[in-house]
Amino acid sequence: MRDVETRPRRYSRIIILAILLASLPLIIGFTLLVLSSFSTDMVTNLNPSSFHPTIENWINVFHGKLATTGGIRANILRITLNTLIVALGVAGVVTGISALAGYSLSRINFRGRKHMMVLLLILHAFPGVALIVGVYLLYRLTFPQTSDFVRLYSFVYVIFARAALEIPMSVWLMKGFFDTIPWEFEWSGIIDGASRIKVWRKIMLPLIKPGILAVALFAFLAGWQDIIYVRTFLIDQTLATFIEANIEAEFSHMPLIAAAGTLYLLPTIIFFITAQQILLQGYSGGIKG
Amino acid sequence: MNKDRLTTLSFFLSPMIVMVLLFYLVPLVMTVYISFTQMRNWNVSKYLTEFVGFYNYHRLFYMFQHDPTFKAVLLTTVVFVAITLVINVFGGLTLALATFFIDERPASAFRLLWLLPRMSPIAVYSLVWYYFFHGSEIGTLNSILMKLGVISQPIPWGQIVPWGAWSIIIFVNGLVGVSFGMIVFTSALNQIPKELVIAARVDGASSWQISRRILIPMVKWHFMYVLTWQFLSLLTTYPHLFLLVQWDLVNGDYGTTLALYVFNTAFGMGEQDQGLAAAAAVLLSIIGIIGGFVTLKVLQFEKMMKRPRGDF
Repeated sequence: MRDVETRPRRYSRIIILAILLASLPLIIGFTLLVLSSFSTDMVTNLNPSSFHPTIENWINVFHGKLATTGGIRANILRITLNTLIVALGVAGVVTGISALAGYSLSRINFRGRKHMMVLLLILHAFPGVALIVGVYLLYRLTFPQTSDFVRLYSFVYVIFARAALEIPMSVWLMKGFFDTIPWEFEWSGIIDGASRIKVWRKIMLPLIKPGILAVALFAFLAGWQDIIYVRTFLIDQTLATFIEANIEAEFSHMPLIAAAGTLYLLPTIIFFITAQQILLQGYSGGIKG
Repeated sequence: MNKDRLTTLSFFLSPMIVMVLLFYLVPLVMTVYISFTQMRNWNVSKYLTEFVGFYNYHRLFYMFQHDPTFKAVLLTTVVFVAITLVINVFGGLTLALATFFIDERPASAFRLLWLLPRMSPIAVYSLVWYYFFHGSEIGTLNSILMKLGVISQPIPWGQIVPWGAWSIIIFVNGLVGVSFGMIVFTSALNQIPKELVIAARVDGASSWQISRRILIPMVKWHFMYVLTWQFLSLLTTYPHLFLLVQWDLVNGDYGTTLALYVFNTAFGMGEQDQGLAAAAAVLLSIIGIIGGFVTLKVLQFEKMMKRPRGDF
């Protein structure tokens, strides 16, 4: 509840209209992308006459037919699966590590705790592009000599390298969630003779399920939307690199890329419908001030 | 510290410490190291041990004086960061205030909508603006202006240097950054006691007066937080710019900031020069680290880090 009771009502329509106007480019841009994927021609020129409804683009995308006249085929299911593997991997690594570290930063008073938290903040603000040069050299130096594991290794490496970027903020976020749990829950476990590790696993983790879900969701989206890391390290293609590589297809095939883009956008849309509160609250969790 | 406690601590902290060592500290040392070698085209076996001292830094300085491309990149960085920062901070504040004064339902809907640029895949978000600013008649902006009769031919907006290219990169990144300020300011506004706002209403204050005299003064700390944090992230962001330049939507020189320059020099098409890229990255890191420490001092983060109350 805000000052809803005392606020004059007539202004609120004007404000809503103003925000709507400011949001128009966003709404138009995304709507045209989705509409174009269902049309034979791009509808981005705002000409109603160029909208001919069809699902051919989607069929072609799933068949991996890039050019309408034969030619190259791409296995889009495999590409989507690759994207999903990276996203789930990043989510798993980030959630696990930050659930562990967030607990100790929130609950255990050890020497160097403050410095560690400051260091995490600095790392979060650190220029990622300065790191990626070094991260790539490390990749090259540790690259397996035999070709059997090369693709697997590139998957593992891209997952951990991308997850590392999310670690500082996620640990802070997770620490914030642990901070909200009353100490009494934990004391009751410790008095009964349980170790801190057991308390963490049996009592704390079930209590912060919403926090874990939020961190996992953000990490998943980070892995899902990434282009720079998958492009640099991953041998296989993901949806991001697929779109990047095929944008310069000829004009007639542009709706096809729009369909691939809409497919790529799907998880975001699903989260928008199902997890609104987590999305809106998640960002403010780590930065209470 | 007894042994038991040490085991517990290492159980909780070691995975994070390993990650930070492997993907932050070791790469940082390697980047600094590469900046003193002649590394090219990732020919590790040939150039890894070939020291050239400060040669790459000298080259950067020479380019700063004489190379028009590099000058364009630096100028673009300054203009891009400055203007986008202003848009991000004030856009975020405006959105947070505006949604503060309307009902909860439309307010959440709008906030969610403005999260879209941040949540959608970078390639898709860039694709949306690729179509919007496209230089042919399929470009949305071109067709709107042609319908209005302002222009008679489609114009390749991103190729107009410098302001056409700058406007596009500022616009595209500006929309992404606004949501950060909006979320921070919204959570700050919601922590202000409602009695203050209601009392002012009863006294007959308008929404504008309430914003100006009560709300904005009370979110000063958050204002500084968004300002400094957004400055650092704009200085180092490049994925969206990378795609816009890669797809030739904007001019290569005036659409490239220093961060993207580093990435393209190290990983781009054609001749790669990791030594030079690493040297530029080191300079960028120095700015970033100084900025980070200034941020911490200004915001007094250390005061917020309370000791865990119940640990014994």
